Amino acid sequence: MTRPSLFAYRGQSSGRSDLVLGICAFIGFIGIWTLISHFEVVPQRFLPLPWKVLSALYYMLVERNFSEDIWISVARVWSAFLLSVVMAIPIGMWMSNYRIVGTLIEPIVDFIRYLPVPALVPLLIIWFGIGEASKIAVLWMGTFFQLVLLIADDTKRVPREFIEIGYTLGAKPRQITQDIVLRAMAPSMVDNLRITLGWCWTWIIVAEIVAANSGIGHVIWAARRFVKTPEVMAGILTVGIIGLATDQAIRLLHRRYFRYL
Amino acid sequence: MNQETPFLRVAGVSKIFEAEGHGHERIQVIDHVSMDLTAGEFAVYLGPSGCGKTTLMRIVGGLETASGGDVVLAGRKVTGPDRQKGMVFQAYTSFPWLTVLENIRFGTKYRNDIDTAQKDEIARHYLDLVGLTEFADFYVNRISGGMRQRVAIARTLAAGADILLMDEPFGALDAQTREFLQDQLLEINRVEKKAVIFVTHDVEEAVFLADRIFMFSARPATIIEVIKVADHIPGERHMDIKETEAFFHLRNHVRDVMRDQARATEEKLERALRPEDGGE
Repeated sequence: MTRPSLFAYRGQSSGRSDLVLGICAFIGFIGIWTLISHFEVVPQRFLPLPWKVLSALYYMLVERNFSEDIWISVARVWSAFLLSVVMAIPIGMWMSNYRIVGTLIEPIVDFIRYLPVPALVPLLIIWFGIGEASKIAVLWMGTFFQLVLLIADDTKRVPREFIEIGYTLGAKPRQITQDIVLRAMAPSMVDNLRITLGWCWTWIIVAEIVAANSGIGHVIWAARRFVKTPEVMAGILTVGIIGLATDQAIRLLHRRYFRYL
Repeated sequence: MNQETPFLRVAGVSKIFEAEGHGHERIQVIDHVSMDLTAGEFAVYLGPSGCGKTTLMRIVGGLETASGGDVVLAGRKVTGPDRQKGMVFQAYTSFPWLTVLENIRFGTKYRNDIDTAQKDEIARHYLDLVGLTEFADFYVNRISGGMRQRVAIARTLAAGADILLMDEPFGALDAQTREFLQDQLLEINRVEKKAVIFVTHDVEEAVFLADRIFMFSARPATIIEVIKVADHIPGERHMDIKETEAFFHLRNHVRDVMRDQARATEEKLERALRPEDGGE
């Protein structure tokens, strides 16, 4: 009985069949990869067999202290991400709650948002050197300006009636912000934070490739120099796994914390 | 009525919206409206959609400022929204992140005239009064639209409002639920004895609920007729009166007046929208 809805336009989803199909697709993907590599449709030098990638990952973790690089990248991502979040939430909310803030900031944000982050890397290195500060700065540039607009949008989408109800129950603006607006926008805000955290992983690799002597991006770049394709792919795989795990963890928290949805 | 100041006095209130669009348009939505309300009186504002009756109610609630005139509630001039003037909107405003009981309890959150124990007690009291005792721990998006509106009413009452301002609160509900809630609202207010301003464009709803019906003209809103319902339909208000001849009679009269207004509105709109060169 699940078949018709699977193929129906916007058919009802069922958790069980979705999971099975997801796993099938993944196995299929690995299968096709294996075939292409095994029959050397693409030379193995460029596309190694999947288990070669896994054994490279194992080797890197055991022999090369790769876990330290992972840890460094994670730390960079999270510190930059948290910096973006702490700044974007209040500023984004002010942008929507006070027209003066919105009209002043929005044009600037809109402009900077369209600057390509990789193009800013050289400038940020001139400003901040090649230490940790420049990596944080790259990530911050890549996320803050997007996030602040997303937060402003979440704030704006809180129904006007909620705010008016707040006033007629005797709340002051600060209390309305805290007890009503923030609560009402929380689910979509957490979703946006989750997406932004994903971008951080894009920018960290860019930053570490350009200027770093540690971190996953650096490891990937170093392996490239000796055409160690399995190690390059192991590095990429690591980013994918961390990203997927974090994403799922936040989704889980989302479901638990916003049980009313 | 003149010897003492009434509970609510709306004196010569006008409202002009300044639209910033092409040119500088000034749209008058309310034109020198005056009315009084005694404590515990149930007023219905009846008028065609977009006539300005909601705006007038919002001015009474302090959510909108009048361009001219005054609103005085319980001897104090209305300058902004506060706990004294409770609102119930057509849109569901119970908070989805709170349960039914927590929503009602939220009404007491900003009261400093009572302590925590009293707040709990009040929340429980209004939960029971609106008949949602069994649903206390349900999140509000698990309950029906009618129940959500009862939560909103209970929350406003828990805040200790002196006057309830209701903007088509049952407008989004199906006919049967609406009738049930109308009846329940009257029952609740037999206990609470709050002054109410209830905005609707539903004639039957107006006649059934109101102590007095204020009929509004098309925009700009003026009061064209005030009907004291008790003069036409004596006795206790109950679902059964909808079957009486007196109810039919009054409803038909009100409906005829409103039909004329609706026609006038449509004609005015047509004239406004017609391209000027091709006009009369």
